[in-house]
Amino acid sequence: MKTFLSLLGLSALLTWTGTALSAVNVFACEPEWGALATEIGGDRVSVYTATTALQDPHKIQARPSLIARARGADLVVCSGAELEVGWMPVVIGQSGNNKIVVGKPGNLEAANYVPLQEVPTLLDRSLGDVHPRGNPHIQWGPQNIQLVANELTRRLDYIDPAGRAYYDSRLASFTQRWTQATKRWEQEAAPLKGIAVIEHHKELTYLFDWLGMPVVGALEPKPGVEPTASHLSELVEQQKGNPAKLIVITTQKNPEAAEWLSGQIKIREIALPATVGGTPDAKDLFSMYNDAIRRLLAAEKPQS
Amino acid sequence: MLKRNVMAGAIVLGLVLPAGAHAQTSQQLDEIRKQIQDLKDSYDSRIKALESQLKQTEEAAAKAQTSASQAKQSAESAAQATGLKPPASPSAFNPALSLILQGGYYNSNQDPNTRSITGFLGPGELGLPERGFNLGESEITISANVDHLFYGQATFSLEDGFINTEEAFFQTTAIGHGFTVKAGRFFSGIGYENSQHSHNWDFVDDALVQQAFLGPNFGIDGIQASWIAPLSAVYLEFGAEGGKPVEFPFPDSDHNSNGFQVATLFAHVGGDIGVSNSYRFGIWGMQAKNQVTDQPLPALDFTGVSNTLTGGNDKLWGLDFVYKWAPNGDPSYRNFKLVAEWMHRSLDGTLTFDSTGAALVGPFTANQSGWFVQGVYQFHPYWRAGLRYGQLNEGSYDLGGGLAGAPGLTPPDFTPKRWSAMIDWSPSEFSRFRLQYNQDKSQQGITDNQWFLQYILSLGTHGAHKF
Repeated sequence: MKTFLSLLGLSALLTWTGTALSAVNVFACEPEWGALATEIGGDRVSVYTATTALQDPHKIQARPSLIARARGADLVVCSGAELEVGWMPVVIGQSGNNKIVVGKPGNLEAANYVPLQEVPTLLDRSLGDVHPRGNPHIQWGPQNIQLVANELTRRLDYIDPAGRAYYDSRLASFTQRWTQATKRWEQEAAPLKGIAVIEHHKELTYLFDWLGMPVVGALEPKPGVEPTASHLSELVEQQKGNPAKLIVITTQKNPEAAEWLSGQIKIREIALPATVGGTPDAKDLFSMYNDAIRRLLAAEKPQS
Repeated sequence: MLKRNVMAGAIVLGLVLPAGAHAQTSQQLDEIRKQIQDLKDSYDSRIKALESQLKQTEEAAAKAQTSASQAKQSAESAAQATGLKPPASPSAFNPALSLILQGGYYNSNQDPNTRSITGFLGPGELGLPERGFNLGESEITISANVDHLFYGQATFSLEDGFINTEEAFFQTTAIGHGFTVKAGRFFSGIGYENSQHSHNWDFVDDALVQQAFLGPNFGIDGIQASWIAPLSAVYLEFGAEGGKPVEFPFPDSDHNSNGFQVATLFAHVGGDIGVSNSYRFGIWGMQAKNQVTDQPLPALDFTGVSNTLTGGNDKLWGLDFVYKWAPNGDPSYRNFKLVAEWMHRSLDGTLTFDSTGAALVGPFTANQSGWFVQGVYQFHPYWRAGLRYGQLNEGSYDLGGGLAGAPGLTPPDFTPKRWSAMIDWSPSEFSRFRLQYNQDKSQQGITDNQWFLQYILSLGTHGAHKF
């Protein structure tokens, strides 16, 4: 009996440590990639997300906790296109982890697998904080999420070959659900087509492009430059000739400028989640899109 | 097709065969007419169906063409964007290059060339600019991956026609398991401020204790090895360095000898507390040989006769702490940073103390310490304000041999101190303008009221900064 119990205990221990030890450590720069890693990786991955939806990825610093986490990561998933250029090179360089160096399978730059919009034709810092390769806030294009999911599965298959069947079947399930959800969103969001919006930064470009909502202005006079009184006055002027119906910012930003403009030109101002976790309802990729479309539709209805 | 031929055959037969049978002719004719009409109707409807299919196909083809050309456009822009186009020139592998421009205006009632820190020996440069408008050092930093194993980086500062190599090192990228080895010339990893380039400082000048003990950035020509422990929840790093100290303990120190002339050890522990707070503690120690013979010590020059120190070691150890706060961890609008460092130095050698005309010689050790605390608060995306206080402890002298009981060989009864207040404006991460006031009481008998205006601008690739 004793031998049996100890064997049972030992095998339980081995199974537990075995599972814990074999979990693929994923370091996600932003919450959307953490959520995607959970969708594809399930029980076989242990996901750490470096930033939250309330943090601007441009302004993050390479603090010790990030370096400690990167030290043990098997796979790093980031948006790329220089969104994390202010911190990730230091995090990777100081981590002493050769698996996550740029170019290795353990370093996945999502923007490399997605057609980027707003590729600048002229690169100069006088134009603001412009990303040389294009707009990096790709998480708002449903096709982009699918493309990154495909590549993420390939990487996980490579890093953890024993889990190949598991990852592939989770990708198939995700693809089916995501495709269905995308069709449903497109149908639900049909009333939003053609509704002109003003955004804060260019962080929702892919969403508006997908939903056919033209962006007629931005609160920032140039990318990365805080809204100025003179630029906001220009937007008030512009409203006469080229009117917007909504001001759409994210919960990550200070709403002062949006609220002021909303009061001046008498249009609604709403905040969407910047990514997963940005609002209480945006718990994963599906609910993030759900919540954004729901909020847009609610704002589009005539004011009661 | 077959049906048609059969039908055609039937029609022909039907037309040919009943040529001689008139009795059933009209009924058969009607039947034939009906069949022809049916045929015509069926062919009509078929043609209509084919025509509408053709129209749909044409429309689809047109759509496909448009989306194909759109796809081509976006593929082209994707190719441009992801750099899949072959590089046009050999400069595609050029390293990242950046230039820092610095300068400003300095106002003080004291001539900076006459300034010193009372009672402190060694690289105690105050680093004060000339009064009036002045051009600070311009810094060029060049970096790139060398190959699959190494990364290289160099920083040169240019000032008044002199080029100074601040750092020029390579480091490993491929060892893994938390190990990194760095070699060449690099700022030592001891302390917190020591490894910060001047353009990253939160104040125009570095802290009093840093100036007194280490100079702006104590550097080593040698090797550094560091290791990060595999603890995900906490950052724990150990490091060791060895080599030749750069212009240390004295600017004209001569280190032309075999082996190591300096060794350091340091450890850091850091992490987050919740989402809004992060910190790092450090502890470090350093020992450097002083190879200079007959180093004049103006700090001990009480009677105008020069005293000289020979040989010996410079042993330092210290603690450093940095804490950062940002609401929800987002530093964009508001954030706060606190830095505190404490250092102790034991400088020993053989001193020839000549104050009374009788040259007394013997072993001499000066035990001194100092510390500073500074806080910087960003209250707007572009504005920050900072306050700093630092002081030095003159400590004690250990005397031996012929120096025992020598009159006047005691540390000055004085505590050097300095208050600094600054405000800076940064309209982007690439430009900064600063106004700072120092109440500097580090020299006995004077209060130096120092006013600084400073600009720091960065061009080109702007590398990521450390915590």
